[in-house]
Amino acid sequence: MAKGRHVNLSGAVMAVEGADAMVFSSDARWEMVDAITRETVTYGTYKYTLGDVLGDLTVKPLTGIPVAFAALYAFWSVFTSFAGALVTDGFMVKFFDGFWLPWMQSVWPDPASWHYFLFVGNPAADTCFEAFGMLTSGLFVSIGVVLPAVFVFYLMMTLLEDSGYLPRLAVLMDSVLHRIGLHGYAIVPIILGLGCNVPAVTATRILETKKQRFIMMTLLALFIPCGAQLGIMMSVLPDLVGIVMLCLIVGFCIFGFILNKVIPGENPEILVDVPPYHWPVKEYVAKKLWNRTMGFLKEAVPFVLFGILVVNLLYLGGVIQGLANLLEPVFVTWFGVPKETVGPLIAAFLRKDLAIAQLSTIPMTTYQMVASVVLVTIYFPCVATFVVMLREGWKELIAAIAVLFVVVFIYGGIIHGIGILLGVA
Amino acid sequence: MEHNESKEYDEQKITLIGIYVALLGLVTLAFGIVDILVWAGVRPGIEVGILAIAGDDFFRWAWGGFIMICAGLFMLAGSTRVATLQQSAKVILGGVLVWLIAGTDIFARLCATIPADEASPAFFNSFSGFIAAFAPPYTPAVLLFPFTLGILYLIRIHDTDDS
Amino acid sequence: MTEGKAEKNIDLPEGGTIVLMLGNPNVGKSALFNRMTGANAVVSNYPGTTVDFMSGTFIESGHIYTIIDVPGTYSLEPRDAAEEVAVRMLRDHPDATVMVVLDATKTDRGLYVALEVMERGMPCIVAVNMMDAAHEKKITVDIAALQRLLGVPVVSTTATSGEGVRNLAEMLRKAQVADIGAIAERLHGEGQARESVRGCDGCGGC
Repeated sequence: MAKGRHVNLSGAVMAVEGADAMVFSSDARWEMVDAITRETVTYGTYKYTLGDVLGDLTVKPLTGIPVAFAALYAFWSVFTSFAGALVTDGFMVKFFDGFWLPWMQSVWPDPASWHYFLFVGNPAADTCFEAFGMLTSGLFVSIGVVLPAVFVFYLMMTLLEDSGYLPRLAVLMDSVLHRIGLHGYAIVPIILGLGCNVPAVTATRILETKKQRFIMMTLLALFIPCGAQLGIMMSVLPDLVGIVMLCLIVGFCIFGFILNKVIPGENPEILVDVPPYHWPVKEYVAKKLWNRTMGFLKEAVPFVLFGILVVNLLYLGGVIQGLANLLEPVFVTWFGVPKETVGPLIAAFLRKDLAIAQLSTIPMTTYQMVASVVLVTIYFPCVATFVVMLREGWKELIAAIAVLFVVVFIYGGIIHGIGILLGVA
Repeated sequence: MEHNESKEYDEQKITLIGIYVALLGLVTLAFGIVDILVWAGVRPGIEVGILAIAGDDFFRWAWGGFIMICAGLFMLAGSTRVATLQQSAKVILGGVLVWLIAGTDIFARLCATIPADEASPAFFNSFSGFIAAFAPPYTPAVLLFPFTLGILYLIRIHDTDDS
Repeated sequence: MTEGKAEKNIDLPEGGTIVLMLGNPNVGKSALFNRMTGANAVVSNYPGTTVDFMSGTFIESGHIYTIIDVPGTYSLEPRDAAEEVAVRMLRDHPDATVMVVLDATKTDRGLYVALEVMERGMPCIVAVNMMDAAHEKKITVDIAALQRLLGVPVVSTTATSGEGVRNLAEMLRKAQVADIGAIAERLHGEGQARESVRGCDGCGGC
């Protein structure tokens, strides 16, 4: 060990004597690094390859933005074809509505009992959405609708991540995201959040300042729907997904902009390190896909079942009816949605996909449906997200929730206002 | 974009493959514009021979049409002095966009035809029903697909010198 | 490299050694980690995939190693919360062996962190990863010369294919404290310092 030895490397080294280590200035260190690489690394004549040029084209705005649009298009198209047309509509609906539900209804004893209500649900229901029992809607929503959606979503996301497109998207989005107090790299938690908000909250650690992390976490909890939610929206209200997403994106930008102005702190410029494109390694993709899908099965399926149980128990106990009457003025006059939406809002705390499945069975006008789906999305993070946010800091969590209530109230009102202006509310 | 300011009067400017790319780009561009026009309601769906533009869905026709337009423009932009690396890359990128749209169209059709019809009691479609679902008419992107395969040649000439 | 398993909490088996993986973001630390422990850390092609640490164990020639995969960092002065995790892990495990992972195509940036670690007087081993990418880019890294200069074992690896990982595991026990002063001297004296590295054998080239 270099105990107290003075070294002179081209006069730039400041050797500081420490107990058992030597500390250099960063300049001196860089100088050493240069000297070492000079000795050991040789750069051959490198030819610019097609991959490099394509890589450049995808970050330049003029060509990059259309490519980003195309990537998004392909993403959504494959998502709807696979999860929607093939698995859910093609097989799952047929199986659950045609075989599983009638079978449960015929096998389970005593349709008037409380346990029938909890596990099978409405004895007159024709579809698994309407029944709302633990073993009917619960299994249908989690396995029939959300699982295929999450699976294909994670497949696409893994390909995006492993090919190296994600950091290029970050470069493209940099100037837009600066407007709302973030920078390009915030695209990483956003995209992860479209899968599940839990890893997304942890991923906010790649942002530098407290301000940025707070803005990002709040916006994630508010405006980014998760994959499970997207899957169920696509399945139960395919025509409204576009308008709901538009409401969420507009809200994301407006409140990001406001939060950026209100919250003190910095939004430093960063240099995004763009790795070269490479073909995703098959085994990595398979492994990651498997882990994420299994993770979903382990955590989400019990939650969906448990969520239905809790909501049904609350119905049985009269709690939801009570709350619905209590909150009726707010819901009906301020948000312009029927008071029955209180039940789904409670379910939304446990699982948002469940809440939307439940909403879809309430008779509502198109405006009311859009408004209530948007409200469910923004109103409160699900339990799992809540827990990870708590782990990242309770002060931020409390502040985020305060912001959340204000935003839900204001944005809900704004949407209602626009609805009134357009004459649809 | 810095390579766009190439000398306008370069003799190498127009080559046979350049003409092919330019034509392809023009057709792609036209298809993209028609996609959007049909969606916008200029005409309620077009079916000419084996070509069909339904225009019923914002996502597929307006968004998808926009991507086709961009693909066409990329190809046109790269069609002069096409053999250079920079220009080829633009053409290839345009080709990739067309392949994306065509690929998702084919995938969508595949996904829709594996399961049996909603009314029928069976789960899987019959084999003949499955094959029949792939009969024409096709979307513009799918029709263009075989004609864009020439772009593979461009990929080849730039990939081989990179062993 | 058998009996690998990964867990979130670090409990050190009797007589084991802790190995901290350190290096720039996106140099393939998690991929190496997975290769060595058979774990399932998330691997992606963008910097900042790992934001939390993960540990796993493996046994090599009867010795138990607990490897900790930490978020990538450009220096030991943390810039964001993920880098803080890395620096904290380094502080919390002062007796650990540090495996510095370099990207062969960007050796200079990685060497900066490597030097910082060496200044702390911790035993080190250097893995020069992504040799395949370097080869494609016509960059060659003289592993033997690097080892001679740094005075710690240097191993070349390609985590995606698994090349060199076995060798890296074997070399872990030869990790040693770098003499930063001697490195400077060797650099200063250019070729004249040809003293062989203590306790190094079987690697060839020195």
